[in-house]
Amino acid sequence: MTFNLAVDIGGTFTDLFAFDSERAVTYEAKCLSTPHDFSVGVMDCVNKSGVDLSAVNAFVHGSTVAINTAIERTGALTALVVTKGTRDVYQIGRGNRPDAYNIFFERPLPLAPPRLTFEVNQRTSATGNVLRSFDEKQARSVAQTIVSSGAEAIAVCFLHSYADPTDEIRMGELLREANPDVYITLSHDITRQYGEYERMSTTVLNAFIGPRTSLYIEDLENLFREHGFSGDTYIMQSNGGLMSAETAKRSPVAMMESGPVGGVMASAYVASDLGFANSIAFDMGGTTAKASLVQGREPSIADGYYIGGYSTGHPAMLPVVDIVEIGTGGGSIAWVDEVGALDVGPRSAGADPGPICYGRGGTQATVTDADVILGRIGWSSFLGGEMDLDVDAARSVVEGLGKTFNLDANGAALAIIQIAVAKMSLAVRGISVERGFDPRDFAMVATGGAGPVHASLIARELSIPKVVIPVLPAHFSARGMLLCDLRHDYVQTFYGLLKQVDLAALRNVIDNLIDEGQRVLVRELSVDAETSFQCFLDLRYEGQEFTLSVPVYRHELNATDGLVASVRSRFDEIHDRNYGHAAPEEAIEVVNVRVSVRGARERMPLTVLIDAGGPPTPVSYRKVCLEDSTSVVECPVYHRAALAPGQTVIGPAVIEEYASTTVLFPSDEAMVAETGELVVSIGGTI
Amino acid sequence: MSVEATAIDPVTLEVIRNGLPAITNEMSYDLQRTSYNMMIYEVRDYSCTLLDPQGRLLAQNIGGVSHFIADMGVIVQDGMEKHRAEGFAPGDVVMMNHPAVAGQHLNNVVIYTPFFIDGKLTAFPAVRAHWVDIGGLSTGFGPGTESFDPWCAGLQVDQLKIYEAGEPDEKLVKMIRDNIRFPENAMGDLRSQIAACRLAERRLEDMYTRYGAEMIARATQIIFDQTERRCRAAVETIPDGVYEAENLIDDYRADAPPVYIHVKVTVEGSDMTIDFTGTADQQVGNMNARTMAAAYIAYKALTAPSAAANEGSFAGLKAIIPEGSIMMATYPASTGNWSSVIAGSVDTVFRSLAEAIPDRIPAGHLGYMGIGRSFWGFDLRRNKSVILQSIDGGGWGGRPVGDGPSASVTVCQGDVRNAPIEAIELKTPVVVEERALRRDSGGPGKFRGGLGLSLSIRSLVDGRWGIPRDRRSNCPPWGLFGGEPGRRGANWVKVPEGEWEKTNLVRFQTVAGTTVRGETPGGGGWGDPFDRDPARVLDDVLSGYVSIGAALEDYGVVLGSDGNVVDVPATADTRTKRRLARTEPVDVDR
Repeated sequence: MTFNLAVDIGGTFTDLFAFDSERAVTYEAKCLSTPHDFSVGVMDCVNKSGVDLSAVNAFVHGSTVAINTAIERTGALTALVVTKGTRDVYQIGRGNRPDAYNIFFERPLPLAPPRLTFEVNQRTSATGNVLRSFDEKQARSVAQTIVSSGAEAIAVCFLHSYADPTDEIRMGELLREANPDVYITLSHDITRQYGEYERMSTTVLNAFIGPRTSLYIEDLENLFREHGFSGDTYIMQSNGGLMSAETAKRSPVAMMESGPVGGVMASAYVASDLGFANSIAFDMGGTTAKASLVQGREPSIADGYYIGGYSTGHPAMLPVVDIVEIGTGGGSIAWVDEVGALDVGPRSAGADPGPICYGRGGTQATVTDADVILGRIGWSSFLGGEMDLDVDAARSVVEGLGKTFNLDANGAALAIIQIAVAKMSLAVRGISVERGFDPRDFAMVATGGAGPVHASLIARELSIPKVVIPVLPAHFSARGMLLCDLRHDYVQTFYGLLKQVDLAALRNVIDNLIDEGQRVLVRELSVDAETSFQCFLDLRYEGQEFTLSVPVYRHELNATDGLVASVRSRFDEIHDRNYGHAAPEEAIEVVNVRVSVRGARERMPLTVLIDAGGPPTPVSYRKVCLEDSTSVVECPVYHRAALAPGQTVIGPAVIEEYASTTVLFPSDEAMVAETGELVVSIGGTI
Repeated sequence: MSVEATAIDPVTLEVIRNGLPAITNEMSYDLQRTSYNMMIYEVRDYSCTLLDPQGRLLAQNIGGVSHFIADMGVIVQDGMEKHRAEGFAPGDVVMMNHPAVAGQHLNNVVIYTPFFIDGKLTAFPAVRAHWVDIGGLSTGFGPGTESFDPWCAGLQVDQLKIYEAGEPDEKLVKMIRDNIRFPENAMGDLRSQIAACRLAERRLEDMYTRYGAEMIARATQIIFDQTERRCRAAVETIPDGVYEAENLIDDYRADAPPVYIHVKVTVEGSDMTIDFTGTADQQVGNMNARTMAAAYIAYKALTAPSAAANEGSFAGLKAIIPEGSIMMATYPASTGNWSSVIAGSVDTVFRSLAEAIPDRIPAGHLGYMGIGRSFWGFDLRRNKSVILQSIDGGGWGGRPVGDGPSASVTVCQGDVRNAPIEAIELKTPVVVEERALRRDSGGPGKFRGGLGLSLSIRSLVDGRWGIPRDRRSNCPPWGLFGGEPGRRGANWVKVPEGEWEKTNLVRFQTVAGTTVRGETPGGGGWGDPFDRDPARVLDDVLSGYVSIGAALEDYGVVLGSDGNVVDVPATADTRTKRRLARTEPVDVDR
């Protein structure tokens, strides 16, 4: 029996969710984030929720502190130590200009300044042979120079250190001797994958955010202890798993995307508990919409991404839950461009001034304004009636916008919604159809304040048959964090032809990675817990560059033969599904070995609610424009809190709750699951 | 197609506007991830397009190299002439690289398929991609200098159907396979190109079924018109006038005279004419092309750099490139080195406009295709022939608002990525000794030119190199408004136990242990170097961009004895004296 607490610090709000399994009590709270000192917002939430920290066994935390430190460039003064001949590799990057026709393009701005970049005389080959032995004397002098430069953090990245990290380890020792207090990151501790620029960038990112992020975690732990907390602290990672606070202090770069990932993980568990094998997590907030594909409870994982965008951002070569984000949210602004075309976003009115209907000085029509004009969001019931919306002000602006296109206010509002929906549908298509998955096999879990309003429309557009609206769809990330296991991902470049693979060497690499992961888990888990691992080979046809990760199983590794044949046919199959063609007669290359180790945590069960029986009763009726501007229907309005398991609401209808509204279109059917979720069967789909 | 651009509901218009480029981007994603040669997966030397049967560009993928902009129309028009509409059937796949029409090196192979809706030929998805070999002397980046006619350069394929109604022409496939090196790679790329076209057919099918051909035709006409209007609005912000500039780009032979580039840009209201009349005639060698790319890239950069390209993108431009000139060569001129003069020609257009719109034009950039180098040899470890290729950038010019970027690919190349050192060494028997910025290579200026790059590779086996010449020896990237030119590039070779020697060779055999170094030019400076903030010069010295000697010589900045501070009085004194000594402007030849 445990008492688990999760707190997620987002850009605007800090969310708390806790579950005491002994007493079967949940706690939740939402407060404004406090960027000057995030712990203030955390304690606000703790106080508001009434959680007694001394009773809590485990604290799970996600925070924007890591990514903010990188993006706002407020990290440590960072030095970089590299192999002789590669001093400028970090600045040169890949030499590319994604913004192809812009002659004023910008390159990424280094996080370790060139004047604090030093070469050490050493060189290893791609196979780990020493080409030039480590120059101990010169390395010591580099260490001294760095110490006297005042650098607060040091990144070390030698060529081919994934094949042999000996020199990096020695350099780390020399640096620590020279200054025991400085924050040091060695590239092979972050990843053991080839690609020196990306590995170097990831190492520098970790060093740059290291001192500030680790201090933040330590301060928060101390603050909690002062309030009686004596349990374990875990940090949400970008890969969908947790790590201990100690691990996070060494590898803070792994926690960059903690918030959005918490939401995806929660969606994954909710859909899976409701019996859906595959799901699409869809979150629509004020400024953006995010979509992610989940199979079973496994989110899609990307091998790396760019902090700050592809064109000018810093590559982070680490597994991250693959989330597609587009600039369409409730606050996205509708506008007519200079040649008369109607467009929505990516500019957003944000929370301040917000949409026109908020009456806080917004003057430009937004998606939310359109929803209010159409009656889909109730003007008097927003945020549980705490805030009346000014529907007339919104209507007059949208009416003006519509004149250009001979549309009345409803027509223009419908056009705004349809354009926003078309864009979001393209994003959802990008993670499903375009990856060879058929959305008709998926349920969409819609979250965020604006998600449930638009989910049915997106589902129709893509023929997604089921939409799930979870309980408290607008406070989802913190809850997701309580559902996650500990997880560590390891990668090791292991290069050669599949048919010539040295199975003993391969098994050895895999065993070492599993051992390493399990050693970390043993340190991190205070109680005996179930640990497991998954293993993948990154494969490609000889001559290709991009790889696909193909699972391999323990029994295959232990068998004397059959591995090559089964892995090869699995690869051909995945290649064919993703790209529509395969080449079963061609040679396959092994590029990397990946191992993911998990340590299971006790999961919070979903609360089973009591079946009320009987049909639901609407609290009121209002006029809602659903399908075309000329037909406005008298639509029943339900309160979500009053709906009970087993009850069914048939569209057209709206279901309101504190921070969101679910809109059901004609012939949609929403059934309340026994754990409280709305499971919507979308009308007109198979 | 004579469809009136009448009103259409704004939602359908937006859906089609976003939907067509989404198809080409999806084609691009799949092609890149499944391709078999670095020219596609790193250099992105390809384009994915949708065209109508008139050859009008409906959409083109975003990203990839810039010089493929809107160049597929002539291919489709030529195919329609040769096959006629009735000659196409569903399931056909057409292959085309013939230089009489395609005008590029033969490695750039176009694959396209007809798309039918209700039995009517409606569109063509088309993918052009750089194959690693197409026979002849084409291995790597394309044929070297020895290819003086198209037959040396490889196979010429003239609108041949490699599939007819879904059935492969096995004879043609075998003929191609048997006459190219690395056939597994090329056949893999062919498969990826066909898959991308098939994918587009499926997406088009969805879209046409939903909206109908008539609606889509109307929408695309409106999209073209709106795109044109957007570009014209940008041209209107340039003062009316006639602007001219010139440039010299080295031929591939050290003893040949440089190639002269001349451009005249006329701006009148929203009309722009880019006229390359006066530019060199087509060459005996292979530095020829049939391409509008130089004019198109410049126009796009000046008007709508981030918008998706379609037929409307260039409707407001009149581009004049006379038949028989180096960029509009008449067959059988060899177009083996087709891209060599484009980057420098684009820059010449910008140079002509520097006085007219001084706040929107940077100084000259490296202006040629960078150090694309290839090495091919036999890998004893893997018992097979291997090829190494990487493209590295150079300096861009100083800007009215800041320093030029260093070591970046040219204006002709966009999202073109160098090969990582670790990837090169995993795949080929070489050691990359150095990938570094060239100190003092950026043209001095108030805003310094970006630095060129130096790349040294030592081969561990005997093999053959293909490297480009530095093309700026007669005309290094220029400075603007008092800024000085960037430093020229060079190529060097060091045989085992030997010394570094400069080389003018572009293809040569080497023995194991030979090191080859390529250096790219720096960008030109913008504004008077004596106006550069001395603190920035100090930072350049500490960062290794500028030597202490050049700080004094080029910028008049005196540093304290430890080299860590600016000697302010001595700097002011030096600059004053040196300014006075400038009785007349000296053309500093670096």
